[in-house]
Amino acid sequence: MLLVKGAKIYPVTGPAIESGMMLINDAGKIEAIGQNVDAPKGVEVLDLTGKVVLPGLVDAHSHVGIWGDGEGSPGYDGNERPNAVNGKVNALDATNPMQRSFGSAREGGITTIQIVPGSGNPISGLGFACKTAGTIVDDMVVKAPTGLKGAFGENPKRASGGKRAPSTRMGTAALVREYFQNAKAYGEKKAKAQADGKPFDIDLNLEPGLMVLNGEIPFRAHAHRHDDIVTVIRLCEEFSINFSIEHCTDGHLIADYLGKKQVVAHLGPGLSSRGKVETANYTDRNPAVLASHGVKVCLVTDHPFLDSRYFLAYGAVAHKHGLSQEETLKAMTINPAESMGVADRVGSLEAGKDADFIVLAGDPFSYKSVVLETYIEGKRVWERPSY
Amino acid sequence: MLAIINARIETVSNGTIDNGQLLVKNGKIAVIGTNVDIPEGCRIIDAKGRTVTPGVVEAHTHVGIGEQGVGWEGQDTNEATSPTTPWARARDGINMLDSAFDDFRRAGITTANVLPGSANIIGGTSVAVKCKGTMVDEAVIKDPSGMKAALGENPKSVYGGKGQSPSTRMGNAAVMREALLKAQQYMQKLDNAKSEQDKPKFDKQCDALLPVLKGEIPLLIHCHRADDIATAVRIVNEFGIKYTLEHVTDGHVVVDLLKSNNSLCAVGPTMHYGSKVENKDRDFRTPIVLAREGVPFCFTTDHPVVAGQYVILTAGLAVGWGMDWNVALRAITLSAAEHMGIADRVGSLEAGKDADLVIWSGDPLEFTTFADVTVIDGEIVFEREVQ
Repeated sequence: MLLVKGAKIYPVTGPAIESGMMLINDAGKIEAIGQNVDAPKGVEVLDLTGKVVLPGLVDAHSHVGIWGDGEGSPGYDGNERPNAVNGKVNALDATNPMQRSFGSAREGGITTIQIVPGSGNPISGLGFACKTAGTIVDDMVVKAPTGLKGAFGENPKRASGGKRAPSTRMGTAALVREYFQNAKAYGEKKAKAQADGKPFDIDLNLEPGLMVLNGEIPFRAHAHRHDDIVTVIRLCEEFSINFSIEHCTDGHLIADYLGKKQVVAHLGPGLSSRGKVETANYTDRNPAVLASHGVKVCLVTDHPFLDSRYFLAYGAVAHKHGLSQEETLKAMTINPAESMGVADRVGSLEAGKDADFIVLAGDPFSYKSVVLETYIEGKRVWERPSY
Repeated sequence: MLAIINARIETVSNGTIDNGQLLVKNGKIAVIGTNVDIPEGCRIIDAKGRTVTPGVVEAHTHVGIGEQGVGWEGQDTNEATSPTTPWARARDGINMLDSAFDDFRRAGITTANVLPGSANIIGGTSVAVKCKGTMVDEAVIKDPSGMKAALGENPKSVYGGKGQSPSTRMGNAAVMREALLKAQQYMQKLDNAKSEQDKPKFDKQCDALLPVLKGEIPLLIHCHRADDIATAVRIVNEFGIKYTLEHVTDGHVVVDLLKSNNSLCAVGPTMHYGSKVENKDRDFRTPIVLAREGVPFCFTTDHPVVAGQYVILTAGLAVGWGMDWNVALRAITLSAAEHMGIADRVGSLEAGKDADLVIWSGDPLEFTTFADVTVIDGEIVFEREVQ
């Protein structure tokens, strides 16, 4: 058992507790949290007087572990390029827990991430949720899979190199539509075979599509430009599937529409330098504009495109441009946890949840409030070095 | 005429003036102090106690030649057709209407050094510009401000990939040394020529390198890895020429070398991701160690590698890592101007210098602070609408 005390605690799902207490059990779960909690005699105490405690940050769109980090091409496993439709690939099978990017995530205060394949293909593969400390990825998994990644706009049409479809936005939409049509027909055949007690050949490529159609996982659609975002919504409504918009860079241009559609937006990478035409309208105001229109806003690093170490700086910039402190904290914790389907375990500090938390030097979103320590399931996984 | 009153003036070169005034005449700072006579008819800005600093100076960017949100049509950073292109001039490729210049003004950046990229061993001349106007020729402060050069991965990957030299770090050094040696011999022949007929035939490569050999401009050498930094210092010392080191990712590893040579270092882009093996150890440790050891340094984003407006965020993060606040502010103003050799004009608030300044909504280095007013050469180039 470990008793955290003295710190100002932001549970995120409730009001901040000045000089709060949090009791953590040996299973790494929060036993109790509040102004005062009953702790057994002789419990180990972590006195954080004058410090601030936040839930471990949650990043709903990351390529930590699969993208290489200062490694060159040998560490690059983000896009399985040869095929445009890649339902059968799974980020879990390429994640390197010993890549230094996991250390960057811990340094940035990020304790849970959704690792998704890249955006080179219209159907890019499965993503999953894991903690950011460990050596065996299977031990780090919180939930797998958590979504089927897809991509629209510039990337899939460019990745094909003109040698195969898609070479246009029309082609990308057609391939995605065809994929879900095939998955639907496949699902019907599978259900009939099962009902008839007949043998049935599993199709690895279509299984994730069927999971999406059955509502087991959402479609995670990369879209920057406003019309790409609208295309995603059109397609998903055709098939009645749940989705999140990944990036959603132009969201502020069509915020009314996205609000009406109750869209979940994974906004990032923050602090963008507008490397592509489809990101030309990037603005630091996007999270505030979308949140004010009722969009469920999650901030994401898209690591490596924003280094995970600077996630809180991105939050600060979103806050600066109009997202309230409370909304910004939610956008980095509970909102992404809900979007990933792991809010029963992470995303806020509540009894029964995992004891994933970070210790800051002060209230969040100031350069003075650096991350001092990062804890996962009650264990310290990062401590600020002194240079 | 323009006067700023009721300001907390961070001069950078001469301490802080509380409740100060600053008078601008003909685009220059005329007087600065606490008891300045404000002439009649002068436009007065009441800073209402806000902080005023020199305009931010970015010593290593590709603004205007590596345009944002445009695609390949706006990419004019590397004349990657030959490993030595000293005759290329950044000035001839700058689009002053690149939207990044707007971002710079909004962020309080008033001066930028624009460098050719690092594909070539000798990439061409850089130019120092003010972030104003539509005509580059009206924005120039100093042209050329330096001669770009590069070691390490970039040139060897570009030319090695084409089956040309350089394809190794040995090749990088040999190509650089040979270009400098030829130019040196060319210069000696020109100096020794007693008549027009004696002069060597015009050689555009050697001719373009003469200002470097004569010590008129520095060689600005891209180097990340410790051994590339050492190679850079070795070669420039062979020729006794002026130089600066650009990026200097491993600078903390070879800090004694930098110290003994008093090397000017532009450190960054620290917030970038591990895109290459040679930048794998990018970290705030580098500027912290350089500052502690007294090595002259400034921060750079390498815009658009990291968007230039976040150079201020970089300074704030450095303070979070323990850098003195004044040193961090200097590293994005006067130290950057010294790096570029234009500290007689910009980088600090002193009588006689260009009236480039920023009024900030709070602590200039705080993540949530806005540049409220940006002034270049005495003209307001940006004024924030207060929402």
